[in-house]
Amino acid sequence: MNLRTFLMKRLMLSIFVIVGLSIVIFVISRVVPGDPARMALGSKAPQFAVDALRQEMYLDKPLISQYVYWAKGVVTGDLGKSLITKRAVLEDVQEFLPATLELALFAGVIMVLFSIIFGALAAKYRDTWIDTLIRIMAYSGVAMPSFVLAVLFLLLFGYIWPIIPVLGRLSTDVLPPPSLTGLITIDSLLTGNLAAFWDGFKHLILPSLALAIGPLFQEARLIRSAMTDNMNKDYVTAVTGYGIPSRIIMRKYLLKPSLIPAVSVMGLDLAALMGNAFLVEVIFNWPGISRYGMNAMLQKDLNAISAVIIVFGCIFVLVNIIVDFIVAYLDPRIRLGGKI
Amino acid sequence: MKLKSLWKKVKTMPFILMVIMVLVTGCGGGEADKGGSKDSASAEKIIRVSEANVPKIDPGVGSDYSSSVALCNLYDTLVYPNDDGTLKPMLATKWETTDNGLTWIFDLRQGVKFHNGEELTAEDVVFSMERMLKMGEGYGYLYTNVIAEAKALDTYKVQFKLKETFGPFLSTLVRLYVLDKSQVMANIKTPGPYGEMGDYGKDWLLNHDAGSGPFKVQELKMQEYLSAERFEQYWGGWDKDAPEAFKIIGTNSAPTIRTLMTRKELEISDQWQSEEALKALDEIPGVSVNSAFMGSMMNIMLNTKKAPTDDVHFRKALAYILDYQIIENKIFPGSKKALGPVPFNLPGAAQGLPQYSRNLEKAKQELEKSKYANNLEKYPVELAWIAEVPDEEKIALLLQANAAELGIKINIVKTPWLSFTEQVASPETTANASIIFVSPHYNDAGSVIETRYHSNSAGTWEQCEWLKDTNLDIAIKQAIGTVEDSLRASKYKAIQESIVDLCPTLWVFDQAEKRAYQSDYILWPAAEAGKAGKPVNTVMGYAFYFHDFKVYPEKVTK
Repeated sequence: MNLRTFLMKRLMLSIFVIVGLSIVIFVISRVVPGDPARMALGSKAPQFAVDALRQEMYLDKPLISQYVYWAKGVVTGDLGKSLITKRAVLEDVQEFLPATLELALFAGVIMVLFSIIFGALAAKYRDTWIDTLIRIMAYSGVAMPSFVLAVLFLLLFGYIWPIIPVLGRLSTDVLPPPSLTGLITIDSLLTGNLAAFWDGFKHLILPSLALAIGPLFQEARLIRSAMTDNMNKDYVTAVTGYGIPSRIIMRKYLLKPSLIPAVSVMGLDLAALMGNAFLVEVIFNWPGISRYGMNAMLQKDLNAISAVIIVFGCIFVLVNIIVDFIVAYLDPRIRLGGKI
Repeated sequence: MKLKSLWKKVKTMPFILMVIMVLVTGCGGGEADKGGSKDSASAEKIIRVSEANVPKIDPGVGSDYSSSVALCNLYDTLVYPNDDGTLKPMLATKWETTDNGLTWIFDLRQGVKFHNGEELTAEDVVFSMERMLKMGEGYGYLYTNVIAEAKALDTYKVQFKLKETFGPFLSTLVRLYVLDKSQVMANIKTPGPYGEMGDYGKDWLLNHDAGSGPFKVQELKMQEYLSAERFEQYWGGWDKDAPEAFKIIGTNSAPTIRTLMTRKELEISDQWQSEEALKALDEIPGVSVNSAFMGSMMNIMLNTKKAPTDDVHFRKALAYILDYQIIENKIFPGSKKALGPVPFNLPGAAQGLPQYSRNLEKAKQELEKSKYANNLEKYPVELAWIAEVPDEEKIALLLQANAAELGIKINIVKTPWLSFTEQVASPETTANASIIFVSPHYNDAGSVIETRYHSNSAGTWEQCEWLKDTNLDIAIKQAIGTVEDSLRASKYKAIQESIVDLCPTLWVFDQAEKRAYQSDYILWPAAEAGKAGKPVNTVMGYAFYFHDFKVYPEKVTK
């Protein structure tokens, strides 16, 4: 099976996953207690207004009809109207998704980069103080949830050492760049607005660190473990015997095969970064789709909940396809179904 | 890409990142980092308030706390609520009522300009009322069953005809925010749900205003903030120290609020900070905690249609056994024991009502009269508290401990708000007792009495008592239809006495709404009034009429 066929198969499978996810989330969001129309308009709203809203949202129809209306809308790009923001959910997604994507991407870069560095360092200097230090950091990092780190950062950099911005995406005295991608750092670079880039970049540091630290150390431990396992393999003994310098052995013969198990986990972690962003976005006042999704759940904003979950689901599936692709590229046995 | 080149990049990246980090921290501490010049109190006379959410600034849609704050600053109303519960002229310079309270005529102030420069006329008032009636959202419920017709008699005279007499009608007009008809009409989207009116301008009014109030919208960022700037041509004029802008920030996350207050990037916190968080905020130099009674009351609502709380003596036993003193002193310090069904500072609240206070002997006597007295073990009381308000659990535990002294078993149930609103839809699924905060909808005892005890509200979270008493319904309707204030008040008093006698509720305390604020450099009239022991505006939002605030940037605590 070549890479193209492999990719096509994965894409086809993903469509079923998304449809299944949409059904599950649609049913769950509709059966939880509370009348969304009544909640949106308040307990004192006259019944005619509540009925009109119920009709507008097809809540007066059977569940299956509701799903059909909703699915038809999704296919045509209409995700319905939000009860919280009172505007099209698609507009909300377009406004809030880039902020979370920017955060997750930045956190992802930190996570991938430093997990490889720390993993490789711990393996190379195994059983030394460096390894021990990284292990202690790993245990602390893995044990501490993102939101706890977020609060700690906020307290540390908010009061004690206020050297870096802690709230929002941009200082209010900085003119935001025109929205091209919605990612402030990218847009400001594209339009040559370096002040906005610098400010946006600084605002990204703390929330993305809070998100990245946990998975970063988890992956570093995986890479370390894979590398130390591979160190005992015969081929490593052989290349060592040939007199190849250790730094070349480390990066050429150990790092690549050791990355394969970590890449799968990294993929999942990358996608999970967005999910983990729920509380981090609240704490850092980050106007992203995770915070929007949390508000939607608290206020039973049906269309918004469904849209957020579907968007997250699509991203999760997409990242998994990319990860499978990378793993298949790194390890031909996978794309060839083990026939090598 | 070859692994070799990838590794080279990987090797160099940490150094690049480290350099960036050093630069970031090295350049830190600048003005922009601390919120920037525009965000710091010293650069602009601005009042920033945190609220649970970003306001809905369409007068036909918004009605929550945050929206109420925004609306009274962006729009003008016919009358304005005074701190003592009376009303004063605003857009209306005078008014009269005829037809025994069925017709109301208002003379409008001349020369009032909307933010776009157009003059406000009677047509705009009529349009604003009709829009509310047709949409039925937000504060529209105040008028849907009340207004028969709104009509412009001439450019500056407007008339409302009522379906039936409604005593507090004038009080409700503090929620009729007047829109610029032509501006809204120029921005309607068709087709829409309102026929020829399309969407009635709802889409445009999501982030624009069409008002004549002291402030005009600068920017509304969904889920982030509303910022508004001073309207220089405001008919009410400006004091030299008045704020030039205000901002409502949609977050009540405790760490965020603390950070903002410390950095002097927030002038007033929201009311949802816990006692612990408020203590921490109070310790910030220049920050004080304001405590004011704004009409909110904590109730333990007793289900009168479910055993054992269907028995009036059982209910009275609970009312006599609860230790109100501990709540007032320890659990919700600063609060005040409720004196009856209506908050003490709402016009029409009866004085000298019989009180339930902790008295073991009386509690025992009442319990003995109850039909459940000898079967207490068979009738445990289910007590629900709202999961989103953790402090309510303390009240639940206290009542549980108190009731145990009488041999009454209380099962405490933590209930998420969504489930709770669903459960109270029928008397069978409503808990025996529910701990709920309730606030008035307008500045008159009738608001609380009708919402809490008329049969129409049974099955909503505002009436978990399921009182459904026909005689009471008739009395409420008669009282609320009485136009003459003193006569209405005497009818309200009789109703309150009969409700107290029925004891469907444990009226626990009038809540002191607490907010931290920068007392060093802002002058907040409501806080000043509270400190001086004077009444504070109880109409939701009006304690934040920023036009009357003052900001002294030079007094910011360094």
